[in-house]
Amino acid sequence: MSGFFTGKGIFGGGIVLLVLSVALFAPLLVPDAWATQMDMRARLAGPSLAHPMGTDQLGRDLMYRMLLGAQSSILIAGTAVLMSLVIGLPLGVISGYFGGWLDNVLMRLVDTLLAFPALLLALTISAVLGPNFTNTIIAIGIAFTPYLARIIRGEALRVAQMPYVEAARAAGTNDLWMIVRHVLPNIMPPIIVQATISLAFAILAEAGLSFLGLGTQPPDASWGLMIQASRDYLDIAPWTALVPGAAVAITVLGLNMFGDVLRDVLDPRVAS
Amino acid sequence: MAYIINRLLSVALTLLLISLITFVVTNILPGDVAMVIMGTQSNPEALEGLRESLGLNDPLIVQYGRWITGMLTGDWGRSLVFKEAIGPLIADKVTASALIVVMSMSIALTAAIPLGVWAAVHRDKWQDNAASTTALLGVSLPDFFWGIMLILLFARYLGWLPSSGFVHPAEDFVGAVRHAFLPSLALGLGLMAHLTRMTRSTMTSILGQEFIRVARAKGLTERTVIWRYGLANAIGPVMTVAGLQVGYLFGSIIVIESLFNFTGMGWLTYQALLNRDIPLIQSTVFVIAAVVMITNLIVDLLYVAIDPRIKLP
Repeated sequence: MSGFFTGKGIFGGGIVLLVLSVALFAPLLVPDAWATQMDMRARLAGPSLAHPMGTDQLGRDLMYRMLLGAQSSILIAGTAVLMSLVIGLPLGVISGYFGGWLDNVLMRLVDTLLAFPALLLALTISAVLGPNFTNTIIAIGIAFTPYLARIIRGEALRVAQMPYVEAARAAGTNDLWMIVRHVLPNIMPPIIVQATISLAFAILAEAGLSFLGLGTQPPDASWGLMIQASRDYLDIAPWTALVPGAAVAITVLGLNMFGDVLRDVLDPRVAS
Repeated sequence: MAYIINRLLSVALTLLLISLITFVVTNILPGDVAMVIMGTQSNPEALEGLRESLGLNDPLIVQYGRWITGMLTGDWGRSLVFKEAIGPLIADKVTASALIVVMSMSIALTAAIPLGVWAAVHRDKWQDNAASTTALLGVSLPDFFWGIMLILLFARYLGWLPSSGFVHPAEDFVGAVRHAFLPSLALGLGLMAHLTRMTRSTMTSILGQEFIRVARAKGLTERTVIWRYGLANAIGPVMTVAGLQVGYLFGSIIVIESLFNFTGMGWLTYQALLNRDIPLIQSTVFVIAAVVMITNLIVDLLYVAIDPRIKLP
């Protein structure tokens, strides 16, 4: 476990912890009214004592909006990754563990889905269902499922060929018990690593969808929406882009670093 | 030979599956082409009449059959927004995007390979840390954010390059490259970060192998060892990852082309999605998935061509 206490581990873990607590507590500590209050005399104002990170084109405080944006980002990305795990885990495990024609059919389908760029798939699903909070989750969740299913299948296949699985089978263990007792615990570490990295990608995807107007909808606060709104005011108020941009960058950077460290600790086979 | 035939059959099957998935996804839409054409406030009887004449009341499988037959015979239908035949429209936009895809891939590879090799050679020293941190930053920033920063720097403050628009390479090649440069750079930076990480990890494992030690023991210069022996073996996996990134690239061009008003395939897809231009959505999504799949196939075959250790089964 000492692997966590490297510079990278502490930094990445610290950021993840910080963003999670902001997402959890900001809505409790920052009343909605503060983030939606428009100060018409201070539109596109630079950082000041009253507004530490400046204001947007409607005179709304960027710091509060950035803090509330953390919530939608984490909530959407987290639920979407959870959704793709809930679909991808049984698919991948069944495919990898049982093999045969079922594996062939499922993986052919997954490979075909992988030909659709994840962002394209998410955008299409969101446009088709009509963009809103829930549909953004569904869109990203479905778009990420084939990637996770592919990785989980590979892991399940690897574990299914291990001597201990053969030994358990010789001892008369049935398939269900085998999966629960031997396969799942042994494929968990790489899956946790992959889920962490997927979370980073899901945050980028949510920002991209919202940026294009096919994700979170106004008046909800979202980092992608904030960057979208800043486009017309870049010349006079560049901070309107920098604040949400930095929020996305720091969060994703933290998750990526944390994922790298998790991999070193949990999955020593590929450690550098 | 059997391998090639097998591979081609598998491509045909995958294309069929791609078309099926595209059709299914676009048909769970509430509302249909008739609704898009006539608007939601239209007379229900007129709407029903249009549906009937467009064949929208036929069973889905019949509609799919008609669509796929059209795709195979070159009749891709008409776009509802652009009021144009879809086939030529897409052909035109694909050419525009090819410029961005090639440029961003070249930018990414020229920067990533030396950087990744440099990091691997100086493993765990400051050079490695610097390269790895840069790469990590690169993967962590959304590419549209890079795009905005590049517009601010190169278009607004320095005024060196145009911030939006598209010029056809056949009309004005220099102008075309100038317009494509910032979007390509925005895409290339993220791509470069992925490829640097890949080059570094592949090179690190290769430099630790026996034959590298033998090469050094023979007294070959460090330069020959690294580039002729090390990179020659690392290039295969790096190219494979670069090929896989083409899929990622075709997702990203939707955002980047829209940001830069670069009227290519990504921009067209976005317009189709925004306006619920269902025939155009179907065709653009199908074409992108097909291009990604065929690129991966080419990379697979190239891999066999450049690595003599791999033999066709």
